[in-house]
Order: sequence, then structure tokens, then C-alpha cells
Amino acid sequence: MAGHAAEAPSSDRSALGAADRFVWRIEVFLAYVSAACIFVLMFIAVVQIVGRKLFNAPIFGYIDMVEIAMGTFAFLAISYCERLGGHVRMELLVGNLRGRLLWLFETTGVIVSLFIVGVLIYYGYEHAMRAFTAGDSTIDAEYPWWPSKLLVPLSFSVLWVRLLIMLWGYLRLLVDPGLKPVAVPLMASVEEEALREAGAVPGAEENGKA
Amino acid sequence: MTALGLSKDVIGIIGILSLLVLVVVGVRVYIAAAVVGLAGLVTMLGWSAGAGMVGTIPHSKSITYTLSILPMFILIGYLAYYAGITAALFRAARAWFGWLPGGLAVGTVFANAGFAAVSGASTATAAVFSRVAIPEMLAAGYSKTMAAGTVAIGGTLAALIPPSAILVIYGIIVEESVGQLLVAGFLPGIITAVVYSLIIVVWASADPKAGPAIHGATWSERFASLPGTLPVILVVVIIFSAMSYGWATPTEAGALGAFVVFVIALLRGMRTPQLKDALLETAKLTVMIFSMIWGILIFVRFLGFTGLPADFTTWVTSLPYPPIVIMIGILLMYGVLGMFMDAIGMLLLTLPVVYPAVMALGYDSIWFGIIVVKMVEICLVTPPIGLNCFVVAAVRRDIPLATVFRGIAPFVIADAITISLFLAFPELITWLPSLMAKG
Repeated sequence: MAGHAAEAPSSDRSALGAADRFVWRIEVFLAYVSAACIFVLMFIAVVQIVGRKLFNAPIFGYIDMVEIAMGTFAFLAISYCERLGGHVRMELLVGNLRGRLLWLFETTGVIVSLFIVGVLIYYGYEHAMRAFTAGDSTIDAEYPWWPSKLLVPLSFSVLWVRLLIMLWGYLRLLVDPGLKPVAVPLMASVEEEALREAGAVPGAEENGKA
Repeated sequence: MTALGLSKDVIGIIGILSLLVLVVVGVRVYIAAAVVGLAGLVTMLGWSAGAGMVGTIPHSKSITYTLSILPMFILIGYLAYYAGITAALFRAARAWFGWLPGGLAVGTVFANAGFAAVSGASTATAAVFSRVAIPEMLAAGYSKTMAAGTVAIGGTLAALIPPSAILVIYGIIVEESVGQLLVAGFLPGIITAVVYSLIIVVWASADPKAGPAIHGATWSERFASLPGTLPVILVVVIIFSAMSYGWATPTEAGALGAFVVFVIALLRGMRTPQLKDALLETAKLTVMIFSMIWGILIFVRFLGFTGLPADFTTWVTSLPYPPIVIMIGILLMYGVLGMFMDAIGMLLLTLPVVYPAVMALGYDSIWFGIIVVKMVEICLVTPPIGLNCFVVAAVRRDIPLATVFRGIAPFVIADAITISLFLAFPELITWLPSLMAKG
């Protein structure tokens, strides 16, 4: 189950390429929000430890705060990860397919994804709305739950649009396997994956010289 | 009996088979698990009850305080690269262990163990040490087989030595104390490193050309090499003392560890672009793991309704074999599965059914977690996938893949010995966590 080499966004000048780039901008933004929340969580936890241990003044509702904030890094970057082919899958079979058969499997996978993600958007939204009408809140600080729950349908809606673009991308390849793939994550062989992993290690060069 | 007139067990088995088919044809694991779970629950409970239940799972299962530890551990790993920790560790390990037969390789194993204490990622560790350690070993006249094998196997220590992301995931699936699991990984990690070292010493003694000893490190050099390893020591002390004395939750300890490594990375010259990269990569890996967690838990909810895990447990416990034989059978199954699947996916897919049966056989859940993780990590270095080996061969174009796999062979034997040791003496795993409070 290797990952993928990813080239995102595509530089293709077609409408598909443009759609890819448009959604990519949203995805990158959401990924940054999620990254920022992780970074802030790190600082808040340090403040919490110092406050509690040294000044006997823990942050009120700290655990509630963390739980509310978790919605960001648990969901927001889901589409970003999908576009980069970052979600785990088994490539033992599809990794060895070429041409129309490969695109057939990819298209089927995207259709399955569109279905389940669609269901999750609808019922995830209902779940959030129930929390809103019932005034559901966290235990200590009584923060309302609904904004956090709303992140599920929000992130998944972006993912749904991304899947739609991928469906378009795979369908045109299914019709004409000779075309250049646009707006779809490309699979890498284990070797390419390893090379990327090797090259992606930041600071490795400096370490090597030291 | 349900709407379709099928018994619950049959629906459960159809569910597992459908999941396997979807995963094999390349559907992402989180999607495959969620869609099969949805289909199963809808079959058993009807559309609105089934789909309504599924709709609540992503949020309710992801948003729990325990899981907030994941991004912190992942972040520590990414930041550690910028803190220049690997080279410092290797220098120290070379100064202290170089005099042994195969000393540089032994040093590499211990440097890996040290790096594992700030990182949870196996393949990335292999990539770094391919650059840091292999050139030195080759320059000292080591054989390519030993140099490459050591680096590929060393990376697997990251899965055991805390902080280990995969142990956190195990803890979440089986609802076991994450703190205890993390602490439990420490001793087996060290034992594994020691067994690897012994194998290297034996190997280098039998074939002195493979790994000659390095002489000439003075005591002052040895002590001078220690301050560079300070970040690792700090992170280990923070995480261990927090877990053992309970002065911070696992997430807080992880966050403090990340903060310490962050400050050191800043001091060693990390700038905004690198920080941005580290954070984005952390966000990507975090969402990937969360998606797998809720996706698989949708499937697990469905399996629970079918009663299949309970029936499987009844079946396994009624087998006319002693538990140890069944356990060895389960471990062999993991060995085979691991050739085709990645560690996290494999745990998530198998544990919901296998774990209750193992518990019914009378095994300790923390012990089983460590053993399973050890099994799946072996698969990271064995053909046909063995990603760590591919990484080493990719970094070192002059070392063919076959050489790396040959270099791995002695260590796989070492791992078989280590696992037998854990089977015979479970206390090696359970002793350390038994000292701490449940939390």
C-alpha cells in the first residue's frame, strides 16, 4: 500500500485543469487552517502545563477547547490529502494495470467515494443541525458543539467536488486512454515512492555533511 | 434474520468479503470501510436508522481528547529533521560503539533507536540514515550488505520506541490505555536494538571483512559527543515522566516534546518555509489517519451488529489447540498479510475480529499490541514490498535492491528470536506499564 507521487495542481490549460486549480486553492487554504490549528494546539498545551504546574492556574475548559479545535485537523485537509493521493490504499493490483482497465477501476472507486461521501455530507449536516437546535455543548466550558460538527459536511463537500473533478478526469481517460492524465493523482511505483520519500527528507543534506 | 432473510453471520461475512474486494481493486481504505459499513447497517437496520447512525460516526469517533495526541507525535517527527538530531546521534553512537566488531553498524542501530525516540516514521528514518551512516560505514570498509541491511532494519525501531503513532492507533481500536501502550513499547524497542547489535557483532566476528572495528575514539571525544543528543534525551524524559507520574496528559507531553524540538530546530536554523512544510505534512498525515479511524469504525459498528466478532471468538476458543499454537497461527497470518498491506491498514482491518478472540484466549492486550506491531514492522523490510529496503536502494544508487534484502536476512532471524522471547516471557513487555497508573 504505497502512496502516490503527486503533481498538484495540474498546469493544463483546459477547463478541467482550471477546475482542478480552483478547488486546489480551497484545499490548500483548508490544509493551512488545519496546520495552523496543530501549531496553536502545541503552544496552548505548553501554556496549560506551565500554568497548571507553576502557577496552579490551568486554562479553563482546556480539554473542551482541544476537542472543539480537533475538528479542524481531523477533517479540513481531507480533500487536500485526496488530491495528493495521500489516503492509504492497496496498489498491488491497480499498480500493475495500464490503460483502460486501470481507468475503469479508478472511475469505479471515485463513484463509490462520491456515494458514501454524499451520504456522510447529508447525515453529517443533520447531526450538526441536531446539535444546533438542541443547544448541545461541551461539559466544562459549555462551548456549543455545532460549529465543530459542521466541519464534517463542510470538509466533505469540498472533497465531494474534488471527487467530481476526479471523475471527470478519469472518465475522459476511460474514453480515450491515449490522453494525458489531468487533475487526477498519479500512482508511483514503489521505487518512485521510495525516491520521493528519500528526497523529501528535509535537512538530510546538511545532516549528511555534518 | 433480516430483511433479506440472511442470517447475521452471513451478512457479516459478505461484508468482510466485499471490503476485501474493494480494497484489492484499489478503493481507498477509509472509503471502502465506510461504504461497506453503511451498506451493512442499512441492510440490518433500514435506511434512515442505518445511514443516520453512519452520519454521526466521523465526528463522534474522531473528536475525542485521546486522539489529539496524533498530530503532536507526527509534528515531533517532522521537526526533528530540522533539529540536526540524526547526525549528532550517529556521531555519539560511533564514538561509543565503534570499537566493537561491526561497531559502526551497532552504532547505527543505537542512533536509530535514539532517533526513534523523536520520530514515529520508519521509512523516513531509513532515508536519513542512508545518507548519514552508509557513507561512513563504506568508507570504513564495511560490506554493502551489512551497511544497507542495518540502515533498513534500524528504521523499524521507530514503531516500538515511543512516540509511536501506530501504537496509538492500536490503543484506539482496542480501547486500551494509550499511555500504557506507549510506555510498553520502550523495553521491547531496546531489546530489539540489543538483539540486532548482537547479530551484527556475531556477523562481523564471523566475517571480519564485513564490519571491521574502528579504534581510536578517546573518552573526551565520547563525552563531547553527548550534548548533541540532548533533544532526544529531553523528549524521552518529558514523555516518560509525564506518563509515569501523570503530571501531563499524553497529548500535553507530546505537545511539550514538539515544542522542545521546535525550539531546537529554530536554533539550528529552521526558517519559515521549512516550518510550513513540516506543518503541512503533519496536517496531511493527520487527516489521513483520522479518515482511516472513522472509516474503519463505521465498518466495526456494522460488524458489531452482525455479532461476527463474538462468534469468531467462540469458534477460536473452541479449537482443540493450546492458545500458544493459535497465537503463532495468528502471527503467521500477520506475516503473510504484511507482504501486501501497509501496517496501519492491516491493523485496522484485522483487529476488530482478531482482538476479541485473542483476549478470550487469555492474552494481555498491551502485550498483544506490541507483538502485532513488531510483526507488521518486519513486513516493512521483507519482500515483495519492504518499503524501507526500497528507500535505502533509492538513496544509494550504487547498492542494488537485492543486496539490501540480503542484508536484511540476519535481522529477520533476529526478529524471530525476539518475538519468541516475548512469547516465552510476556513480562518483558508487561512489566514496565504495570508500574504506572492506568490512564
